[in-house]
Amino acid sequence: MKRPMLDRGRLAIGDMRLRITLRELMTTAGIVGASSAAAFLVKPMNGEASEALIFVLGIMLCGAFEGLTAALIAAIAGFLIYNFYFAEPVLAFRLARGSDIAPLLVFNLCAVISGVLAGRLKDSVQAANRKNEALSRLLEMSQALQSAVRLGDVAAALRATPSARSGVSLHLFSIKNGRLQPLMDGAAQPEWQAMAERSLQSVDPIRCEDGLTAHRLDGSDGPLGVFVFKADAVTRLEPPFMAALANLFTLAMERATLSEMIEDVRALAKTEELKTALLSSVSHDFRTPLTAISASASSLIDYREQLDRDVSLRLLQGIVDDCERLNRYTANLLEMSRLEAGALPTNLQKIDVIEMLVAVMQRVRPRLNERRMTRLFTGTDIVVLADASLFELVLVNVLDNAILYSERKSCIHIEVEDDGGYCRITIADEGRGIPDEDLERVFDRFHRVARTEPSPLGSGLGLAIAKAFVGALGGSIAAMTPGIGLAGTRIVICLPLVKEDRPQ
Amino acid sequence: MTATRILIADDEPSLVAVLQPVLSAAGYEVAAVADGKGAVAFILSHDLDVVLLDLGLPDIDGKEVIRRVREHVATPIIVISARHLEAEKIAALDEGADDYVNKPFEIGELMARIRAATRRRGTTTAPMAFYRAGPLAIDFPARRVLYDGETIKLSPKEWELLQVLARSAGQVVTHKRLLAAGWGVETTETQYLRVYIGLLRQKIEEDPSDPRLLLTEPGVGYRLSAAE
Repeated sequence: MKRPMLDRGRLAIGDMRLRITLRELMTTAGIVGASSAAAFLVKPMNGEASEALIFVLGIMLCGAFEGLTAALIAAIAGFLIYNFYFAEPVLAFRLARGSDIAPLLVFNLCAVISGVLAGRLKDSVQAANRKNEALSRLLEMSQALQSAVRLGDVAAALRATPSARSGVSLHLFSIKNGRLQPLMDGAAQPEWQAMAERSLQSVDPIRCEDGLTAHRLDGSDGPLGVFVFKADAVTRLEPPFMAALANLFTLAMERATLSEMIEDVRALAKTEELKTALLSSVSHDFRTPLTAISASASSLIDYREQLDRDVSLRLLQGIVDDCERLNRYTANLLEMSRLEAGALPTNLQKIDVIEMLVAVMQRVRPRLNERRMTRLFTGTDIVVLADASLFELVLVNVLDNAILYSERKSCIHIEVEDDGGYCRITIADEGRGIPDEDLERVFDRFHRVARTEPSPLGSGLGLAIAKAFVGALGGSIAAMTPGIGLAGTRIVICLPLVKEDRPQ
Repeated sequence: MTATRILIADDEPSLVAVLQPVLSAAGYEVAAVADGKGAVAFILSHDLDVVLLDLGLPDIDGKEVIRRVREHVATPIIVISARHLEAEKIAALDEGADDYVNKPFEIGELMARIRAATRRRGTTTAPMAFYRAGPLAIDFPARRVLYDGETIKLSPKEWELLQVLARSAGQVVTHKRLLAAGWGVETTETQYLRVYIGLLRQKIEEDPSDPRLLLTEPGVGYRLSAAE
């Protein structure tokens, strides 16, 4: 910015155009008028010189306040008035002698000097303002960049870009799949994109061409992107400042890339964890019934003659029961992987909760084994929006748990009520219950309550699926103790109701 | 009277290996094909009583099999499908399948479906005149419904629904078909249907809240118990 003054002066004159607004013209007329009036006032007291000085003052003021054009107009007007009213002979124009022309020259010289000086001052103030604005926007951006963690944050910081009005425009390109892509909304102009491409190829990380400057953003593992900007002559930006900004971009983008990688690694670890859990579940929960089936079936083949009819029947019934168990595990695993994959329930339909519960109760009835089911259904037309087979599976899971963890001849109580906006389904049993510390964790995948007494083992999936299902529908599920009386478990499911008009 | 002829269209050899001897032992004449095109050809060239159709055949989709044969014959088709694939089942029923069995099934359930399908086939030539299951009896020509021997009054819509269910007794009837029967339009909300099913249960079930005759098939439709 250390340019010779002369150069800047010439530049300033070159930049100035002779334009004037109505407001400036009015001010000029006012000042010229006031100067004339003042000259008339001093005329009786002094000679021509002081009158001329008053006009010079007026012209200077016009130049200072309104610029070169106004000063020149004021100079012409002032000269005409001065020549006509004040210079001898009064009330006549005369341009015969040198002393007649002198005021014209002096006035115009004053006008040019004051106008140019004032104009330059004004321009530099304006330029300083624009530069200030650009700098403060860039600083804002750099602050935002320092806290950016994702590529999205970097893009958001870019939205605080200095406007074109402040003389700076910039674009950031990131490298995605080996290709440069503009990080900001909307496609970049082709010459910007081309500039970025060239910068990627060039040896020097900084490249200036046709008013565009490109900074290649080199991360530790090669280029991350390119930062291209254009600043006009007035808002010239210090190269070190822009280099610092480019550095910030590099850091922010590197951070974003790294954090994305960490997320990927975490997701992978989570998938691995799920896979391991699934495998252990499959090996345990599937092998147990399979072992029983295999033992029963092979016994029936090998000892057909020795086994009496009752034992044979019992073995056969065991095979059928274990098949049903395997079937439920399979269904649970399938639904779990669907829910884990984040698939939203697509098959939603209006389902009458009571109708569904009745169907489910009929389905589990063969497994009740002398347990009783009691129920209290209050309200009619309790309708929810759900996936029918998933809803059925969830209810079967909860009821199966109630059966699995309770004694024969005990009671399982099922309640449905309309709770305003929600339908509340309660399934309570008199079984062994859940320790307080496990009440929340029973909904975790593969979580099994550690028990001292021998107890049957479920797949550890049933309640996790129930929770995922209920969550996807905007409802809730909770486990509480006790269930009935002082013993057992109570599972409460709340689902949002679908309001319907009762048909006529 | 000739034996009832069944075609098993399934590409799972172990399932066919179990079903074939069991169905033969039950007195049926059994054939098996393992692909969709073979199934279409067999159904069109033989006079069958029931087809057991797996929806997941290797060459063409089970629904496509139903579409191709339905243009020519009315052979009862029972779809065998996984429980969670409701949409598939409903689509197959809409294409003209008569019923479905969830995989895996117990043989008793499959036999009941086959019996319901063959019974229904028997009534296509001579319309069913009488239905009886438990305390419920329907006299179709007289449009009379009896519960424990007493005549019960049904509204016209209730009668339409019960009649459609009874004519397919033992088989599932989809929401869509019931809506079409009761309201003439398929788009009516299923809530109307639920309300009328509820009203019907009040009249024909001993305990309407624990139905034994008019059963819900969650997400698919309703099933009236097979006639005794």
